[in-house]
Amino acid sequence: MASSDAHPGQRPRPLSPHLAIYKPTMTMAMSIAHRISGMALYAGVLLLAWFLIAASADASSFTVFSGFLGSFIGRIVLFLATWALFHHLVGGLRHIVWDAGYGLEKPLRDQLAWATLIAGFALTILVWIIGYAVR
Amino acid sequence: MTDHPGDLRTPLGRVRFLGSGRTGTADAWVIHLTSVALIPLSIAFVWLALTLVGKDYNGVRAELANPIPAILMLAFVIAGIVHMELGMRSIILDYIGGEARAWALVVNTCFAALLALACVYATLRIAFT
Repeated sequence: MASSDAHPGQRPRPLSPHLAIYKPTMTMAMSIAHRISGMALYAGVLLLAWFLIAASADASSFTVFSGFLGSFIGRIVLFLATWALFHHLVGGLRHIVWDAGYGLEKPLRDQLAWATLIAGFALTILVWIIGYAVR
Repeated sequence: MTDHPGDLRTPLGRVRFLGSGRTGTADAWVIHLTSVALIPLSIAFVWLALTLVGKDYNGVRAELANPIPAILMLAFVIAGIVHMELGMRSIILDYIGGEARAWALVVNTCFAALLALACVYATLRIAFT
Protein backbone atom coordinates (compact mmCIF):
# COMPACT_ATOMS: atom_id res chain seq x y z
CA MET A 1 0.00 0.00 0.00
CA ALA A 2 2.71 2.44 0.93
CA SER A 3 4.42 4.04 -2.00
CA SER A 4 8.09 4.88 -1.65
CA ASP A 5 8.73 6.00 -5.22
CA ALA A 6 8.15 9.67 -4.35
CA HIS A 7 11.27 9.75 -2.17
CA PRO A 8 13.80 7.18 -3.43
CA GLY A 9 16.01 5.69 -0.75
CA GLN A 10 13.69 6.80 2.03
CA ARG A 11 11.66 4.46 4.24
CA PRO A 12 7.93 4.62 3.21
CA ARG A 13 5.85 7.09 5.21
CA PRO A 14 3.54 5.42 7.77
CA LEU A 15 -0.05 5.07 6.53
CA SER A 16 -3.13 4.43 8.66
CA PRO A 17 -4.94 2.28 9.58
CA HIS A 18 -2.96 -0.94 9.99
CA LEU A 19 -5.84 -3.40 10.05
CA ALA A 20 -3.79 -6.59 9.95
CA ILE A 21 -2.18 -6.26 13.39
CA TYR A 22 -5.43 -6.11 15.41
CA LYS A 23 -7.69 -8.94 16.58
CA PRO A 24 -10.97 -8.48 14.67
CA THR A 25 -13.83 -7.02 16.73
CA MET A 26 -17.46 -6.16 15.93
CA THR A 27 -16.85 -2.40 16.10
CA MET A 28 -13.85 -2.81 13.77
CA ALA A 29 -15.91 -4.90 11.32
CA MET A 30 -18.66 -2.24 11.29
CA SER A 31 -16.06 0.51 10.83
CA ILE A 32 -14.76 -1.31 7.74
CA ALA A 33 -18.34 -1.96 6.58
CA HIS A 34 -19.02 1.78 6.97
CA ARG A 35 -16.20 2.59 4.55
CA ILE A 36 -17.19 -0.15 2.11
CA SER A 37 -20.85 0.94 2.13
CA GLY A 38 -19.69 4.53 1.60
CA MET A 39 -17.65 3.49 -1.42
CA ALA A 40 -20.60 1.44 -2.70
CA LEU A 41 -22.76 4.58 -2.50
CA TYR A 42 -20.32 6.21 -4.95
CA ALA A 43 -21.72 3.73 -7.49
CA GLY A 44 -25.22 4.29 -6.09
CA VAL A 45 -24.99 8.01 -6.92
CA LEU A 46 -24.00 7.03 -10.48
CA LEU A 47 -27.27 5.11 -10.70
CA LEU A 48 -29.15 8.18 -9.40
CA ALA A 49 -27.36 10.40 -11.96
CA TRP A 50 -28.35 7.99 -14.76
CA PHE A 51 -31.97 8.11 -13.53
CA LEU A 52 -32.06 11.93 -13.43
CA ILE A 53 -30.35 12.33 -16.81
CA ALA A 54 -32.66 9.75 -18.44
CA ALA A 55 -35.76 11.41 -16.94
CA SER A 56 -34.53 14.83 -18.11
CA ALA A 57 -33.94 13.52 -21.66
CA ASP A 58 -36.51 11.78 -23.88
CA ALA A 59 -38.86 8.86 -23.21
CA SER A 60 -36.63 6.34 -25.03
CA SER A 61 -33.66 7.16 -22.74
CA PHE A 62 -35.92 6.61 -19.75
CA THR A 63 -37.10 3.27 -21.18
CA VAL A 64 -33.46 2.09 -21.36
CA PHE A 65 -32.95 3.09 -17.70
CA SER A 66 -36.18 1.55 -16.38
CA GLY A 67 -35.44 -1.56 -18.47
CA PHE A 68 -32.12 -1.96 -16.66
CA LEU A 69 -33.62 -1.24 -13.23
CA GLY A 70 -36.46 -3.71 -13.83
CA SER A 71 -34.07 -6.48 -14.92
CA PHE A 72 -32.72 -9.10 -12.50
CA ILE A 73 -29.25 -7.49 -12.41
CA GLY A 74 -30.80 -4.03 -12.03
CA ARG A 75 -32.89 -5.14 -9.05
CA ILE A 76 -29.83 -6.74 -7.39
CA VAL A 77 -27.85 -3.50 -7.91
CA LEU A 78 -30.73 -1.39 -6.53
CA PHE A 79 -31.16 -3.74 -3.56
CA LEU A 80 -27.45 -3.52 -2.71
CA ALA A 81 -27.55 0.28 -3.15
CA THR A 82 -30.55 0.46 -0.79
CA TRP A 83 -28.69 -1.69 1.75
CA ALA A 84 -25.54 0.43 1.42
CA LEU A 85 -27.59 3.61 1.96
CA PHE A 86 -29.35 2.33 5.10
CA HIS A 87 -26.24 0.65 6.52
CA HIS A 88 -24.25 3.86 6.04
CA LEU A 89 -27.12 5.97 7.43
CA VAL A 90 -27.53 4.01 10.69
CA GLY A 91 -23.73 3.55 10.92
CA GLY A 92 -23.40 7.33 10.63
CA LEU A 93 -25.97 7.79 13.42
CA ARG A 94 -23.85 5.47 15.59
CA HIS A 95 -20.75 7.52 14.83
CA ILE A 96 -22.59 10.75 15.80
CA VAL A 97 -23.57 9.13 19.13
CA TRP A 98 -19.94 8.07 19.66
CA ASP A 99 -18.63 11.51 18.62
CA ALA A 100 -20.89 13.05 21.27
CA GLY A 101 -19.14 10.82 23.83
CA TYR A 102 -21.97 8.35 24.49
CA GLY A 103 -22.13 4.56 24.11
CA LEU A 104 -18.38 3.95 24.14
CA GLU A 105 -18.34 1.62 27.17
CA LYS A 106 -17.65 -2.09 26.82
CA PRO A 107 -20.95 -3.94 26.30
CA LEU A 108 -22.85 -1.01 24.76
CA ARG A 109 -20.42 -0.24 21.93
CA ASP A 110 -20.69 -3.82 20.60
CA GLN A 111 -24.46 -3.78 21.05
CA LEU A 112 -24.64 -0.52 19.08
CA ALA A 113 -22.51 -2.05 16.31
CA TRP A 114 -24.80 -5.10 16.12
CA ALA A 115 -27.90 -2.86 16.27
CA THR A 116 -26.78 -0.81 13.26
CA LEU A 117 -26.02 -3.97 11.25
CA ILE A 118 -29.48 -5.38 12.01
CA ALA A 119 -31.28 -2.02 11.60
CA GLY A 120 -29.62 -1.40 8.22
CA PHE A 121 -30.76 -4.79 6.96
CA ALA A 122 -34.26 -4.47 8.47
CA LEU A 123 -34.85 -1.01 6.94
CA THR A 124 -33.70 -2.30 3.53
CA ILE A 125 -36.16 -5.22 3.67
CA LEU A 126 -38.94 -2.92 4.92
CA VAL A 127 -38.46 -0.41 2.08
CA TRP A 128 -38.42 -3.21 -0.52
CA ILE A 129 -41.64 -4.69 0.91
CA ILE A 130 -43.25 -1.22 0.68
CA GLY A 131 -41.81 -0.83 -2.85
CA TYR A 132 -43.38 -4.07 -4.04
CA ALA A 133 -46.66 -3.30 -2.21
CA VAL A 134 -47.16 0.14 -3.80
CA ARG A 135 -46.06 -0.92 -7.29
CA MET B 1 13.69 29.28 8.94
CA THR B 2 13.07 33.02 9.24
CA ASP B 3 11.26 33.01 5.87
CA HIS B 4 8.55 30.75 7.32
CA PRO B 5 7.35 32.16 10.66
CA GLY B 6 5.26 29.69 12.67
CA ASP B 7 6.40 26.75 10.55
CA LEU B 8 8.22 24.28 12.78
CA ARG B 9 9.20 21.90 9.97
CA THR B 10 12.79 21.47 8.83
CA PRO B 11 13.65 22.91 5.38
CA LEU B 12 13.90 19.33 4.02
CA GLY B 13 10.53 18.39 5.52
CA ARG B 14 8.96 21.48 3.94
CA VAL B 15 10.35 20.57 0.52
CA ARG B 16 8.88 17.07 0.90
CA PHE B 17 5.44 18.49 1.85
CA LEU B 18 5.50 16.69 5.21
CA GLY B 19 3.27 17.80 8.05
CA SER B 20 -0.25 19.16 8.37
CA GLY B 21 -2.23 20.15 5.27
CA ARG B 22 -4.12 22.63 7.54
CA THR B 23 -7.54 21.80 6.07
CA GLY B 24 -8.36 18.90 8.40
CA THR B 25 -10.66 20.75 10.80
CA ALA B 26 -12.64 22.39 7.99
CA ASP B 27 -12.99 19.03 6.16
CA ALA B 28 -14.08 17.26 9.35
CA TRP B 29 -16.66 19.99 10.00
CA VAL B 30 -18.13 19.76 6.46
CA ILE B 31 -18.33 15.94 6.49
CA HIS B 32 -20.14 16.05 9.86
CA LEU B 33 -22.41 18.90 8.72
CA THR B 34 -23.42 17.05 5.55
CA SER B 35 -23.85 13.77 7.46
CA VAL B 36 -26.39 15.40 9.81
CA ALA B 37 -28.15 17.08 6.85
CA LEU B 38 -28.28 13.73 5.04
CA ILE B 39 -30.27 12.02 7.84
CA PRO B 40 -33.58 13.76 6.99
CA LEU B 41 -32.62 14.17 3.32
CA SER B 42 -31.98 10.41 2.86
CA ILE B 43 -35.33 9.59 4.46
CA ALA B 44 -37.02 12.15 2.17
CA PHE B 45 -35.16 10.70 -0.84
CA VAL B 46 -36.25 7.12 -0.06
CA TRP B 47 -39.83 8.33 0.44
CA LEU B 48 -39.64 10.18 -2.92
CA ALA B 49 -38.16 7.09 -4.63
CA LEU B 50 -41.04 4.96 -3.28
CA THR B 51 -43.58 7.39 -4.78
CA LEU B 52 -41.86 6.91 -8.17
CA VAL B 53 -41.97 3.09 -8.14
CA GLY B 54 -43.91 1.76 -11.13
CA LYS B 55 -44.35 5.22 -12.71
CA ASP B 56 -43.59 5.74 -16.42
CA TYR B 57 -41.60 8.60 -18.03
CA ASN B 58 -44.44 11.15 -17.82
CA GLY B 59 -45.44 10.10 -14.30
CA VAL B 60 -41.85 10.40 -12.99
CA ARG B 61 -41.37 13.81 -14.64
CA ALA B 62 -44.69 15.10 -13.31
CA GLU B 63 -43.74 14.07 -9.75
CA LEU B 64 -40.19 15.51 -9.93
CA ALA B 65 -41.53 18.78 -11.43
CA ASN B 66 -43.30 19.58 -8.14
CA PRO B 67 -41.34 22.14 -6.08
CA ILE B 68 -40.88 20.12 -2.88
CA PRO B 69 -39.62 16.88 -4.53
CA ALA B 70 -37.34 18.96 -6.83
CA ILE B 71 -35.88 20.99 -3.94
CA LEU B 72 -35.39 17.86 -1.80
CA MET B 73 -33.68 16.10 -4.72
CA LEU B 74 -31.32 19.06 -5.24
CA ALA B 75 -30.49 19.24 -1.52
CA PHE B 76 -29.93 15.45 -1.33
CA VAL B 77 -27.70 15.42 -4.41
CA ILE B 78 -25.56 18.40 -3.33
CA ALA B 79 -25.14 17.32 0.32
CA GLY B 80 -24.64 13.70 -0.75
CA ILE B 81 -21.97 14.41 -3.36
CA VAL B 82 -20.05 16.85 -1.11
CA HIS B 83 -20.12 14.17 1.63
CA MET B 84 -19.12 11.45 -0.86
CA GLU B 85 -16.20 13.49 -2.22
CA LEU B 86 -14.82 14.17 1.27
CA GLY B 87 -15.32 10.53 2.33
CA MET B 88 -13.47 9.20 -0.71
CA ARG B 89 -10.75 11.82 -0.19
CA SER B 90 -10.05 10.52 3.32
CA ILE B 91 -9.95 6.95 1.99
CA ILE B 92 -7.42 8.04 -0.68
CA LEU B 93 -5.29 9.84 1.93
CA ASP B 94 -5.36 6.72 4.15
CA TYR B 95 -4.45 4.12 1.55
CA ILE B 96 -2.67 5.77 -1.38
CA GLY B 97 0.75 7.40 -1.21
CA GLY B 98 3.22 9.09 -3.53
CA GLU B 99 2.34 10.46 -6.94
CA ALA B 100 -0.69 8.16 -7.27
CA ARG B 101 -2.28 10.03 -4.35
CA ALA B 102 -2.26 13.33 -6.23
CA TRP B 103 -3.85 11.73 -9.30
CA ALA B 104 -6.47 9.95 -7.20
CA LEU B 105 -7.39 13.24 -5.47
CA VAL B 106 -7.73 15.02 -8.83
CA VAL B 107 -9.90 12.24 -10.32
CA ASN B 108 -12.08 12.07 -7.19
CA THR B 109 -12.79 15.81 -7.03
CA CYS B 110 -13.33 16.22 -10.79
CA PHE B 111 -15.60 13.17 -10.95
CA ALA B 112 -17.68 14.33 -7.98
CA ALA B 113 -17.97 17.86 -9.41
CA LEU B 114 -19.08 16.51 -12.80
CA LEU B 115 -21.59 14.18 -11.14
CA ALA B 116 -23.03 17.04 -9.06
CA LEU B 117 -23.34 19.30 -12.11
CA ALA B 118 -25.04 16.52 -14.11
CA CYS B 119 -27.54 15.75 -11.32
CA VAL B 120 -28.36 19.41 -10.65
CA TYR B 121 -28.71 20.20 -14.37
CA ALA B 122 -30.95 17.16 -14.97
CA THR B 123 -33.15 17.92 -11.94
CA LEU B 124 -33.61 21.55 -13.02
CA ARG B 125 -34.32 20.49 -16.62
CA ILE B 126 -37.05 18.12 -15.43
CA ALA B 127 -38.53 20.89 -13.28
CA PHE B 128 -38.44 23.63 -15.93
CA THR B 129 -39.20 21.88 -19.24
